[in-house]
Amino acid sequence: MPVSYVLTTCPYCGTGCNFFLQVADGRVVGVVPCKTDETSKGRLCIKGYNAHAFVNHPDRLTHPMMRKGDQLTEATWDEAMGKIVSELKRIASVHGTDSIMVLASAKCTNEENYLFQKLARAAIGTNNIDHCARLCHASTVAGLLQSFGSGAMTNTIPEFEDADCVLVTGSNTLEAHPLIGARILKAMEKGAKVVVVDPRDTPLSRVATMSLRQESGTDIAWINGMINVIISEGLHDKEFVDTRTTGFEELREIAKKYTPEKVEEITGIPKDDIVKAARIYASAEKAMIAYAMGITQHSNGTSLVRALANLAMVTGNVGKESTGVNPLRGQCNVQGACDAGALPNLYPGYQNVEDGEAKAKFEKAWGEALQPKKGMTLTCAFNQALTGDIKAMLIFGENPMMSDPDTGHVEAAISKLEFMAVVDIFPTETAKLADVVLPAACYAEKDGTFTATDRAIRAVRKAADPPGDARPDWQIACDLGRMFGSRGFEFESPEQIMAEMAAVAPIYGGVDYERIEREMVRWPCPTKDHPGTKVLHIGSFKMGRGVFAPVEHTPPAEETSEDFPFILTTGRNLFHFHTGTMTRRSAKLQREAPDPYVEINPDDARSLGISDDASVRVSTRRGEITLSARVTPWIRPGTIFIPFHYVEAAANRLTNNALDPIAQIPEFKVCAASVEKA
Amino acid sequence: MRLAFDEKGADYLLATREEHGNVAPVLLRKGEDPGAIRVDVPYQMAMILTKVNKHVKDGKIAVVARKCDERAIAELVKRDLLDPNRLALIGLACTAEQVRECRCTDPCPSTVDIGECAEPSTEDAPVAGVLGMSLDDRFDFWIDQFRKCNKCFGCTLNCPVCFCDECLLEDKTFTPEKGIPPGLAFHLIRTIHMADKCVECGECERSCPADIPLLSLRKMVNRDMKELFGYVSGDPERRSPLLTTLDGDPMEDDMHAC
Repeated sequence: MPVSYVLTTCPYCGTGCNFFLQVADGRVVGVVPCKTDETSKGRLCIKGYNAHAFVNHPDRLTHPMMRKGDQLTEATWDEAMGKIVSELKRIASVHGTDSIMVLASAKCTNEENYLFQKLARAAIGTNNIDHCARLCHASTVAGLLQSFGSGAMTNTIPEFEDADCVLVTGSNTLEAHPLIGARILKAMEKGAKVVVVDPRDTPLSRVATMSLRQESGTDIAWINGMINVIISEGLHDKEFVDTRTTGFEELREIAKKYTPEKVEEITGIPKDDIVKAARIYASAEKAMIAYAMGITQHSNGTSLVRALANLAMVTGNVGKESTGVNPLRGQCNVQGACDAGALPNLYPGYQNVEDGEAKAKFEKAWGEALQPKKGMTLTCAFNQALTGDIKAMLIFGENPMMSDPDTGHVEAAISKLEFMAVVDIFPTETAKLADVVLPAACYAEKDGTFTATDRAIRAVRKAADPPGDARPDWQIACDLGRMFGSRGFEFESPEQIMAEMAAVAPIYGGVDYERIEREMVRWPCPTKDHPGTKVLHIGSFKMGRGVFAPVEHTPPAEETSEDFPFILTTGRNLFHFHTGTMTRRSAKLQREAPDPYVEINPDDARSLGISDDASVRVSTRRGEITLSARVTPWIRPGTIFIPFHYVEAAANRLTNNALDPIAQIPEFKVCAASVEKA
Repeated sequence: MRLAFDEKGADYLLATREEHGNVAPVLLRKGEDPGAIRVDVPYQMAMILTKVNKHVKDGKIAVVARKCDERAIAELVKRDLLDPNRLALIGLACTAEQVRECRCTDPCPSTVDIGECAEPSTEDAPVAGVLGMSLDDRFDFWIDQFRKCNKCFGCTLNCPVCFCDECLLEDKTFTPEKGIPPGLAFHLIRTIHMADKCVECGECERSCPADIPLLSLRKMVNRDMKELFGYVSGDPERRSPLLTTLDGDPMEDDMHAC
């Protein structure tokens, strides 16, 4: 047939919109929205409409490559795969298997991530498996797990429309999750009050009921301040607190200290606004909290997430429709990569690596002895590469040279590695430094599933063949597993892989391709006749009672100084995605936001003599970049913002690798910077 | 199928059918198993037809078309963007509910092959609501609506009569790339561009994640076109009155250049 329409899942953010790829003469040529899709309802954002654009880009990797001196030269699959296996085996025999780090990918399917962690654990023999969730919601997984017993979004995307109040913080929802932002707009139209707390004015905050601008890195103070007002005005849900939670007295004691006056001092938010926002949130019948990187990417990110969980529990906004604590996950399958066990401390389905029973279960399922200790996180692995404890990395679809904090540090770490292999669809900044590069199929060229931010398991369907000799990651992982001599990599289809994952991960127990084909299933879904779960924690929490955490405000790891007087915060814009590998190869998206820029307040710009579009140099203790100034009142004085999509002025040259002690997530959102005319 | 291939003599059928628990556009070749055809979900078939048409080099395509699709196809044919000899329309009548939702005044296809024609709509509450406002309130109303725009381009991408190779909405002079929402020019340029083409299919409004009432805006401009020039878009016979010479006569050629 000359033209066909293939229903699949968007490869960008974690909303999980489905759409049709239009395929003409075997090539993906366009995107048409799917009107019956429950998530998108036939609407998409500009990234979704352009999700076909990079697929046929001439930069696509089409054949394996191996390093000869300072050049990467074409190789056969046998040569390249042989090199990876022999090098990793050699390094394992000299330095032990824990000298190898495997990075999985939030851009790959559940099935592929399942295989990546199985490859690391069962075939290579290390729990050193992690992925970029470490950089986005590691603190969510850790924090919500401690507070609620489950680290995922408590409610679902459609529920936003029926909330009476939506508290949005650290999420530029209309730009980073546009179709979730659209649901929040819809709720507003239906009468909901929307409160946005963000150091930047965002497209959503500009139309919201209330917009509060805190100084970056002071979030626990305003959250505790709201709890202070709620308790002192008796607006808390006493029944919920009594019957469903523990630790309220400790929370009450801590909250006492955070009077609106004190919070104004710390955060810069006027005290009356704190009181008003607290009343709006607490008096709503159904109030949802939505948050993203502005909360998680701090050196106290886990505590911050727990503070939000406190706020929801104190008002009884958990375990009901249109309530809850809702982390908006940023990548098409970052939820699924976590679910599938691409984490150093958790097997598939969040089963603890250091729990003997879980280990025994997986040893039996996989027929291999497994390591008893948890592995290394991604952020830790780069530190350990510098000290020589990590010798090799096998990287599937990640680009740490752009995505990780303090690029200079990452670059130095990579240069110390004895061996690095990268599997990707484009010659990324990281792939260019690799010893072996393998060409992978992109989302449009393979079957599988992505799990959206609201735990919905969505089908990814093959629309076209991969270019040249490129192959799907699941086939590459199967071959590597077999070449390491491990049994259990004899899969002929992603469907078979999902069947195995469902058998070992109880939250996916009832998931199979036949069901995904006809219905939207959200985990937990333990059995075939289980309908899946929309709202978590109805009636009781997974561990019985929810746990209040008495968390205190602590300053960010790096504070401003005379030499570095600005707070630098980083993030996304609407038109690009992460390291730009795909969106900057999409003409229409590149047209909308072609060049790197730094947002700076007009007052600051004036005192530095900087005009709009002027070239400026931004420096931190770690590096400097030159880019153009975007003078805008949308950012508060004293703070500057740089999107991290642009390799020519990479924001992560500047960011701080200070880590949250629990989740080891870096503090992308705050570091001290200086700005001067270039 | 019989309708498309035997009665209408087509080689292909462009329709919608059930796939993966959803309703999907599908291009079928004569003799192929059609699967479960569904006509209850209003996809903009004229827009999909223009996408499909680029890749179907020969043969006749039958397309399931509502009246607005039929009118959109007429606009495209007038501009030489579709070859009428390679098309066959299978007329689909909209349900009363669909007519009400679009406040459609012209719902009945010229040949009704599927369904029964519902009565045209005589009321348009959203437009009446806007017209009932003072000019200042009306301006504020539209500003508030346009502030929600997230620049997805869904209104142009899904529009059956938005066909320029180069889009002014992507021109830096008028819509500079400084993020969202785009300036007022974005919406006003599009409004003017649609003036002699819009067939009121409502796809722009249905596609808008922010629920901006774009159909109301189009209807108000169309009402002006009718009052000022007596012109209704989608008429297969009449050319746009905006394509005039300085003497007031319609220009003879290069219509699609505009």
